[in-house]
Amino acid sequence: MPIRNFSIIAHIDHGKSTLADRLLQLTRAVSDRESREQLLDTMDLERERGITIKASAVTVHHVYRGDDYQLNFIDTPGHVDFAYEVSRALTACEGALLVVDATQGVEAQTVANAYLAVENNLELIPVINKIDLPSARPEEVAGEIEQVLGLPAEECMYCSAKTGQGVGELLDEICRKLPPPRPPQTDETRALIFDSRYDDYRGVIVYVRVFDGSLAVGDRIRMMGTGRQYTISELGRYTPAPERLQKLGQAEVGYFVASIRALPDVRVGDTVTGASNPAHEPLPGYREPKQIVFSDFYPASTSDVTGKRGGYDSLRNAIEKLRLNDASFSFDPIHSDALGFGFRCGFLGLLHMEIIQQRLEREGGVQIVQTAPTVSYEIQLTDGTVREIHNPADLPDPALIQAIREPLVMLELICPTEAIGDLMKLCDGRRGVYKTQKFISASRRILEYELPLAEIIYDFHDKLKSITRGYGTMDYEIRGFRPDRLVKVDILVNGVPVEALSLICHRDNAVKRSRTIIKKLKQQIDRHQFEIPLQAAIGSKIICRETIKALRKNVTAKCYGGDVTRKRKLLEKQKAGKKRMKMVGSVNIPQEAFMAVLEMGK
Amino acid sequence: MGRGPRGVYVHVPFCLHKCHYCDFYSIAGDGDGGRRDRRGVFVQRLIEEIRASSAFLGPPIETTFFGGGTPTLLPSGLWKILLAALSDHQPRAADHELTVEANPETVDEPLMEALVAGGVNRLSIGAQSFDPRHLKTLERRHDPARVVRSVQIARRGGIANINIDLIFGIPGQTLEQWLEDLQEVLALEPTHLSCYALSYESNTPLTAKLRAGRIKRIDQDLEARMYEVVIDRLAAAGFEHYEISSWARPGRRCRHNLRYWRNDQWWPLGPAAAGHVAGVRWKNVPHLGRYLREGPLPAITDVERLDEDGRIGEELMLRLRLIEGIECGLLQRLLAAGVRGRERGVAIMRHTDAGNLERSSDRLRLTRRGLLVADSVLADLL
Ligand SMILES: Nc1nc2c(ncn2[C@@H]2O[C@H](COP(=O)(O)OP(=O)(O)OP(=O)(O)O)[C@@H](O)[C@H]2O)c(=O)[nH]1
Ligand code: SF4
Ligand SMILES: [Mg+2]
Repeated sequence: MPIRNFSIIAHIDHGKSTLADRLLQLTRAVSDRESREQLLDTMDLERERGITIKASAVTVHHVYRGDDYQLNFIDTPGHVDFAYEVSRALTACEGALLVVDATQGVEAQTVANAYLAVENNLELIPVINKIDLPSARPEEVAGEIEQVLGLPAEECMYCSAKTGQGVGELLDEICRKLPPPRPPQTDETRALIFDSRYDDYRGVIVYVRVFDGSLAVGDRIRMMGTGRQYTISELGRYTPAPERLQKLGQAEVGYFVASIRALPDVRVGDTVTGASNPAHEPLPGYREPKQIVFSDFYPASTSDVTGKRGGYDSLRNAIEKLRLNDASFSFDPIHSDALGFGFRCGFLGLLHMEIIQQRLEREGGVQIVQTAPTVSYEIQLTDGTVREIHNPADLPDPALIQAIREPLVMLELICPTEAIGDLMKLCDGRRGVYKTQKFISASRRILEYELPLAEIIYDFHDKLKSITRGYGTMDYEIRGFRPDRLVKVDILVNGVPVEALSLICHRDNAVKRSRTIIKKLKQQIDRHQFEIPLQAAIGSKIICRETIKALRKNVTAKCYGGDVTRKRKLLEKQKAGKKRMKMVGSVNIPQEAFMAVLEMGK
Repeated sequence: MGRGPRGVYVHVPFCLHKCHYCDFYSIAGDGDGGRRDRRGVFVQRLIEEIRASSAFLGPPIETTFFGGGTPTLLPSGLWKILLAALSDHQPRAADHELTVEANPETVDEPLMEALVAGGVNRLSIGAQSFDPRHLKTLERRHDPARVVRSVQIARRGGIANINIDLIFGIPGQTLEQWLEDLQEVLALEPTHLSCYALSYESNTPLTAKLRAGRIKRIDQDLEARMYEVVIDRLAAAGFEHYEISSWARPGRRCRHNLRYWRNDQWWPLGPAAAGHVAGVRWKNVPHLGRYLREGPLPAITDVERLDEDGRIGEELMLRLRLIEGIECGLLQRLLAAGVRGRERGVAIMRHTDAGNLERSSDRLRLTRRGLLVADSVLADLL
């Protein structure tokens, strides 16, 4: 039976999941009654937000010119933070549908994902979707695709994933145009792991694409990377309902279960081979993404800031549980004087961070207090060694530092032509280096800049959206680390540095950044009986200062017969509040003050 | 002599209109002679309560205080009946102090005559400010000139002991304006003054306005200055500062209020009135309708009996509000008895070192500096 393996890729919201639904429906994998929107999006959060977070693979059949084709396809997420999911999916395919919204045109992730596919030697079918919409401009968009991606406009397919128009033709085109799987290259079995997830009853479910040989129930297998051996107890594929099989043959896509207890035991990108008859070379692998954005998660219940119990335990349980299902984020326990026990978590991007935080809160039932995200830094020490840190507090003694390097990204913005000027101003103001500008169509351009990741993790996306009235999109790729005039800024309260508040930033931004912090801090700390200086310092140099004046008056004017109890309770509350605060240099700093300063967005 | 409380507080829950800073229990509209007027039934019901509670009190009664609300909204006829019933059922000591709170717009000759005839010997007038703009901010509806007239009427009617309430720290108020208020009030030659910093109580329109940003709290430093000037100005005028917000001519301290600060006992009458007897604090249910329906003793709420340590903290909190402070012998006893005695001792030392407390001869008291931050000090002693 002829086989076609492909992914559906696109910019976010261009209709991948909807198209996947239509493909399932047209191939009768699901009856109309069963069909619900975005069938492959199963996670609560995916349905609610209407976006795909994890890729998922299904198998359907289509008859083309009298032949029954087996089509294995993978719906993928469109957001930049989940590019690693796309990369994984692409390793299992020979082709990809590049979906482009007929009203939006080519966007940043259209370009990024198309390039990913090309790098993986995939054949692309450009699909212009949403042609049912009155504002659709399919020809123009075809022109953009040709202009930007070099795919001939006349090769574009037109469809509406919503109405189903053009989807039948698309199925034919898939069978016609996409290449068949390559023939086996070795006699030994080789299957590529492109995903895995965890099931409470069966352990890890491993998603594989068989490139050479076959897998069968009862086979003793070996993971070439980790060297671990298992016996396959279950094999199958999704249609989209799970369908058990005895055997997964050459070029097929499916899953297996083999009593694998923990997700970390399986490495996505690893090659599965026969234990008794192993292959000599693994398949070209896939590099796990690296976490680049870091944020500290603390339990929000502050009832007990001294002990580890309570909130911390629930948070740890929630994180460990989520981690079983999702290896894309990292976490390490930390303790901060200010905020107690928590975790430093690493993410692939800001949306990724937000998604993880929401999943923890929702699925784990914990409330999280989260600090502003930071990037990781490479510290070049005078002794020649290099250290990576994710927290300003971990910076070594300045005397030992030769250079601080920060992650640099290549940023690609797709925007309306008239927004170019303002966007360039924005990028220039963020230490950006202009690279190039490309033409998409009369009304749209691609703008490329190289700039530090730290400059885009705060509010860059919001700024982009507001400058372009929502039409601009962005994509970025880490290009390595670059030294700059980065400094550690200490925040001193009453002369004492508060570790939890220190930050790393560019020397030129140091004053502005620390002023904002100090201003916020000033609002949060109550007046004390003495004057409190708040300072920001680079080394021993004070770069900005505010003063909290001494408490001048704190006395209840009236306390008559009916007021006694209330008054006493008020004072007790005052006293209890003080006990819950963090003492720094004889100043009581409320937890909220740390939060206000550290919390993102504000 | 009996061992019951010798103080009585009577709450009269009617007002012409609600002032915006006020969180006292009172109803506007039920005391204005209209169709829903409930003053008559209220006085009847109050007399019933007086009768039913007399067995628990004194004898004799040394201080009685009519507060509100606006007690002077009761017409003179009702006052006559009420005061007569009170003296029938509550035997009075020879030097009985009987205070009635009055709003300037409600004071007239017939009323004063009825009060004095019934034994009232102290009037407390809520002037709050002499500046119409600031009265407007507070939504106090009286003309400052009425304050002057009230004082005249009271004095002519035979009341020599007059207190006037003033508020400072009103949004928009300047130090000069506050000094002018003090000037005006001194010209009226009261025997007693209560000067309060404006406080923003929860669930008041004023606080809502503050939250909504429609008014701005005055600067803390200015408010502190206002407090300091009133201390100095009244001292210069011959007043004794005897409690955080109270000043009196020699011999004119309010003996009823002193009960509160000396942790003494008193009995409550009327809806929302609070009492303190034999270590128990409680409050009559603040609901006029229920008060009128139920009886003879009203339903009570917020009943509280603190443990010994709690009572000690409370006593320290109250007594240190008095400028005379607390007598060292008593202090030693209080510190020795509570479980937190050591902790309190340390706090006292710390605040003494910081200049907030001082020991003078045989008493411990707040210093002038300490007065300004009394809450910070008292919280540590609870
Ligand atoms: N009118 C119209 N709407 C469509 C069509 N295809 C998708 N949509 C709508 O576009 C929105 C996004 O569709 P999805 O299928 O979730 O897009 P996606 O590409 O999977 O999005 P991500 O997985 O988050 O990247 C949904 O509201 C769909 O109903 C179409 O052909 N016509
Ligand atoms: S007159 Fe007194 S009790 Fe009545 S509303 Fe005004 S402040 Fe409150
Ligand atoms: Mg999707």
